[in-house]
Amino acid sequence: MADDIILDIRNVTKTFPGVVALSDVSIQIHHGKIHGLCGENGAGKSTLMKILSGVYPYGSYKGTIFYENRELKLEDRAIRQAIEEGIAIVYQELTLVPSMTVGENIFLGKEPVENGVINWDKLYADTRQILEKYKLDVPPNAVVKTLGVGKMQMVEIAKALSENARILILDEPTSALSESEIDKLMEILETLKEHGVTCIYITHKLEEFFRITDSVTILRDGKTVATNPTSELNHETLVRHMVGREMKERFPKNSRKPGEVIFKVENLVATDPNEPSRKVLDGVNFDLRQGEILGIAGLMGSGRTELVTTIFGEYGNIISGTITMDNKTLNIKSAHDAMLHGISLVPEDRKGQGLVLMQPILRNISLANLDRFAGFFRIDQDAELAAANQQGKNLSIKAANLQDRVDSLSGGNQQKVVIAKWLLTNPQILIMDDPTRGVDVGAKFEIYKLMNELAENGVSIIMISSELEEVIGMSDRIMVMHNGRSGGVLETQGVTQEKIMAIATGIEA
Amino acid sequence: MNLSFELKKRFYDNIQTYTIILAMLAVWILFTILTNGFYLSPQNFSNLFRQMTVTSFLATGMVLVIVTGNIDLSVGKLAGFVSVVVAYFQANVWNTIFPGQPIVAAALSVGIGLLVGALFGVLQGYIISYMRVPAFIVTLGGMFVLRGGILIITQGKTIPANQPGFDQIAQGYLSPAVGWVAALLVVALLFLNMVRSRARKAQYGFEVSNLYMDILGTLFFSALVIVYVVVVNFYNGVQVPVLLLAVTAVIMAYVSNNTRFGRYAYAIGGNREAARLSGINIKRNIFLVFVLMGFLCGVAGIVLASYVGYGTVAAGEGYELDAIAACILGGTSTLGGQGTIFGAMIGGLIMASLTNGLQMLNVPAAYQYVVKGAVLILAVFADVYFKKNR
Repeated sequence: MADDIILDIRNVTKTFPGVVALSDVSIQIHHGKIHGLCGENGAGKSTLMKILSGVYPYGSYKGTIFYENRELKLEDRAIRQAIEEGIAIVYQELTLVPSMTVGENIFLGKEPVENGVINWDKLYADTRQILEKYKLDVPPNAVVKTLGVGKMQMVEIAKALSENARILILDEPTSALSESEIDKLMEILETLKEHGVTCIYITHKLEEFFRITDSVTILRDGKTVATNPTSELNHETLVRHMVGREMKERFPKNSRKPGEVIFKVENLVATDPNEPSRKVLDGVNFDLRQGEILGIAGLMGSGRTELVTTIFGEYGNIISGTITMDNKTLNIKSAHDAMLHGISLVPEDRKGQGLVLMQPILRNISLANLDRFAGFFRIDQDAELAAANQQGKNLSIKAANLQDRVDSLSGGNQQKVVIAKWLLTNPQILIMDDPTRGVDVGAKFEIYKLMNELAENGVSIIMISSELEEVIGMSDRIMVMHNGRSGGVLETQGVTQEKIMAIATGIEA
Repeated sequence: MNLSFELKKRFYDNIQTYTIILAMLAVWILFTILTNGFYLSPQNFSNLFRQMTVTSFLATGMVLVIVTGNIDLSVGKLAGFVSVVVAYFQANVWNTIFPGQPIVAAALSVGIGLLVGALFGVLQGYIISYMRVPAFIVTLGGMFVLRGGILIITQGKTIPANQPGFDQIAQGYLSPAVGWVAALLVVALLFLNMVRSRARKAQYGFEVSNLYMDILGTLFFSALVIVYVVVVNFYNGVQVPVLLLAVTAVIMAYVSNNTRFGRYAYAIGGNREAARLSGINIKRNIFLVFVLMGFLCGVAGIVLASYVGYGTVAAGEGYELDAIAACILGGTSTLGGQGTIFGAMIGGLIMASLTNGLQMLNVPAAYQYVVKGAVLILAVFADVYFKKNR
């Protein structure tokens, strides 16, 4: 075995009842490199990471793993043991305690103790040291829930680094980050590399592989398809390996012609409902035409999510400004009001806001639409099932049975369930907040196609997206937000990522 | 779909239900052996079901309360309060307004009981959902208030509530012939429902489930009803309170599955944020859940007054814990979002079966509590264990 191989995964097979999650997977990871792991949802990435981090302990899978030239056996206290071995993982879903401070979170479970009492001074000093070392711009004593998602992610990374990790696994670290935060993360990863830390980097954003990784392993259906140095790969080969077919177009073509303006927001100013002195929207202007996809770009915290949830009647307190639809002023007070006006919202956080995970797919699809199937005394369950079946077919939701729990589906299919729920309300305006976040390439393409179809049928779509390529690829026009303000609406024709970034970061107005 | 596949699927879909039914049968078999068969004699069988009724009325409402992610600690004392109010009116009010008319008095007693229960539910529900005080605290406070209320009304004494007519609510029996008519009616409804459901499914073009499976299932439930009626007819006949409970449970099961109100309750408990963004009026829904809970406390309180024939200072003491235990034994998740009325009824039956069996064996009250507590914890542990190792 070559000395520079830190992790050698050999012929690992992991099965669940009825499913082979990993089949004879072998990967060699070199010391001090950034190794990308690429694959659609369900390809086996998460399963492999759970083996490395001890969630699935030694003995629950077949095959062997060599770590620093000896066999890695994570047994009894497998998760803790993995951390002690220096294998740390940053999960896609944040695992911080919101009510605790940054320092408390970083040292959770390993607080510096003197005579049975926590030494807070040392804890915060150490926290500061870690944060400064990796140039993480977060105050050590800030309460985590007051931070934005981007900063929380950084705390998460700091927490992993504080374990003296030699292998750091990052599972879709950028899915919630803004462009500038991603740049920051890339810098951090470079720093880590200098310190000799090996990274395993999982992402759905393919361009990130080319930006940061040294080599990439592609998984498909639980098998290793290929491991290549990144320099030998390009976008097309990567996608081909992932989906097993050529995918020339990332965004489906469309030939729609948007109609008249049907919806208008003028000078909208709104405050945080929990903190009435804080303006979250400070003068937003845009209009929306029938059958149009309007993209909203902007950094995390620029007010884009706040804007759509305020329109939907579920967030900000509107101080001034008007929202008009079909030339009538709207006064939407709740999601129910919004739905009555034909406005639907596919929320940002699929699991937290979109789905009742423990319930069947069927009930999730019908949840916002029971009025249609029910009188006061009875829900027509057959009509409900028929409607849900129809949606399932239209959106090609891959499920054996709509009575299965929704959390048994892959991320892409879960997202389709959320979309199905809102399509069933027959919206005139469909707001989609980051609709392809955490969704694999194949499902992304299907969601794009669906959006185009809807727009061609006259539905107006407002799409928020963190991915500039997606905004440019899908939208007819793009509104860029910065600091709660709309920085003008751009025609997509001829717009560049640089132009959008310039407005989003406030360099240009 | 072939038959064995469907059998398997149905089995796995309902594994939790089968587990708890098996647990109940195990309890019955154990006590039958320990009491030389007397445990399952018609008389004791009949009493056993009668004994489960009061707390089980509470459990039917408690399921929805817990499903929405709340708790109601006041239900025992509210049922107790209703029982003393009902007794007070019978002893001191109705006979002065309507002397010599026991049926009118009984009907008015029922009315006042339901009213008091529902009103208290309105009050607590309003404070919980519109004034945003946590349910745990509101109902804990409510429990103290009601305890005081009971003392105020009874003045520390026992009030009789044994008007003829009123006593029939918890102590009456249907004559065997009427019992048979009721049983046959239920069987006819079960089959009618099966046929109609199949017809509707066919109309929508769904794959209709295997006919033999459906018939087998319907026959099974019909057989349960008939066996039950046969057994209780050997004693005094179908017990009126059990009939009331069965009707209540069926209505509540229907409400929880087939109405928007019920569905929303599960959605709110499952993911409040998703429910809110789906346009569900969360405050109103939770308010209504507590009103319904109060109303059911009214029902329980009336049955309680009729059952013991008195309103006493200790009325309803600890019933809230029995009701919560019944829900949890029946698979209701304390985290909200999951739970069934049917499960809670079996849970209530298990609790009553334990009490009854232990009393028959002359186990001291102190040890009865120990056994019941241990069974509750063991049951939840078994559930956690099997879920983990599935």
